[in-house]
Amino acid sequence: MDISMCQVYEDEIKSLEEEIKLLAEQYEDIQQESTFYSEEEILMAIKAFQSELQGESNGCESQSDLKAQLESLEADLSFLMKFTCVQFTSHSKRTIERHRNRTVQKHRISGKCHSLSFQLEFQLLEMQDKEKVSTVISDLSVVMESGEDSNVSKFLSRNEEHGDLLTFFRRLSSYAEWYEHRRRTFLHFK
Amino acid sequence: GKMGEGRAYSWDGVFNHLEMLEAQAHEAGRKQEEKKQQEEKLASLKERVEELRIQRDKLQAKVDLQKKRLSGKEGIMSDAAEASAGAVLEWKIRSIKGMLQLFYLTGISGKLTKQGVCFSISTAYEGTYLDSYYLDLLTKPAVRIHRHSVPVFIPLEQIAKRYLQTDIRRFLSVLSDHLNAYAGRRYQADQLQEHFSDQLEGSLQRNSLCNLLVFNYKVPSGDKTFPFSARLIYRDICCSLPTEVMVSSTVKAPEHLEETAAAHSELFRHMALHKAFCTFSNTEE
Repeated sequence: MDISMCQVYEDEIKSLEEEIKLLAEQYEDIQQESTFYSEEEILMAIKAFQSELQGESNGCESQSDLKAQLESLEADLSFLMKFTCVQFTSHSKRTIERHRNRTVQKHRISGKCHSLSFQLEFQLLEMQDKEKVSTVISDLSVVMESGEDSNVSKFLSRNEEHGDLLTFFRRLSSYAEWYEHRRRTFLHFK
Repeated sequence: GKMGEGRAYSWDGVFNHLEMLEAQAHEAGRKQEEKKQQEEKLASLKERVEELRIQRDKLQAKVDLQKKRLSGKEGIMSDAAEASAGAVLEWKIRSIKGMLQLFYLTGISGKLTKQGVCFSISTAYEGTYLDSYYLDLLTKPAVRIHRHSVPVFIPLEQIAKRYLQTDIRRFLSVLSDHLNAYAGRRYQADQLQEHFSDQLEGSLQRNSLCNLLVFNYKVPSGDKTFPFSARLIYRDICCSLPTEVMVSSTVKAPEHLEETAAAHSELFRHMALHKAFCTFSNTEE
């Protein structure tokens, strides 16, 4: 009976460790939702940070580095969105596989190019082979506003079949420009 | 004198009895030790279970709190106060880095620099991302290329001369076309060498731009194989499919193989090289 008690405990330890692993992953995944903190919360945090900075003299450098890093990254992102006319309005990712040198994440993105909105879902496989990291897209699914156009749906399904995210974006820009131009022209004639 | 049989004691009996007692005592001691070890093990396992339970409950509470704020946005104030300002900022930084990685996947990404902007053009073949190339641009007094990692056989200067001053987006788009087509051609050749080396005869010859490919390969017919030679020319360097294909058998081959050569030629014109070879293997089986 002592031995069986040991077994009971060992089984429980194993199941608890498994539970903890799953919960930790869940926590991380939910954290990766891009709308996790609202803009007001972030502004509040920045303000709180400022007052913390003024109050403390130690750890000052790393804290101001953090703020500077945030500003620099935001400037880069803002520039890219203006330059490419592509805006990402939401982005969530979930890790569905994690090994030593291989992770698979499921991404869900919505955004727009000019005024044309799109929604994307795909799986992203990252493999580390010595120094190189290789990236492969699979299971791509694209939903676009002007999906009724048969040429567009043919184009989209071809891209989806091959996981061709890059070509989708390369063509999206010119199509969106044309679509926008056409829309304005029609409005003009109304 | 001689001891009676009725009596339990004889010297042998005594010794046996003593041995038995000794063994019993030894056994009892061992069992005691074993029991003690078991109890210690049990106690430590129990402790571990309790530790893990506490850890699990804490995590569960964290996750529940997360889910609550994500769904109902209740008690925003208290939740934001709970996470330190630093943690929120770190989260935001990670979130933005995630979005910047998305731009990498779209083909054009970049970073502002003191004197301008450094663009990164990514290339891919279908879903597989290949090399990316950077272009460090200065913007004042006029736009010009400061540094870059574009290979020398891509006509960068020509493209820059035509578009850089007037339409940077067009410039990057055209450059991306060139780079992606080159990357696609190179990928096909690499895949052919990697996965179909048993069908190739000798080495695959290519130029740096990968718009000229020459190779020999084996075509099975019945129980023999015939050597074929293929020459692919990609005159449109923004395209990853060839504009001219010449396939022929290198020795005198039966007539039906001439049809095969023509069929292969057509196939190579319209299908990616490694995929074309894939269909050969499938049809032979």
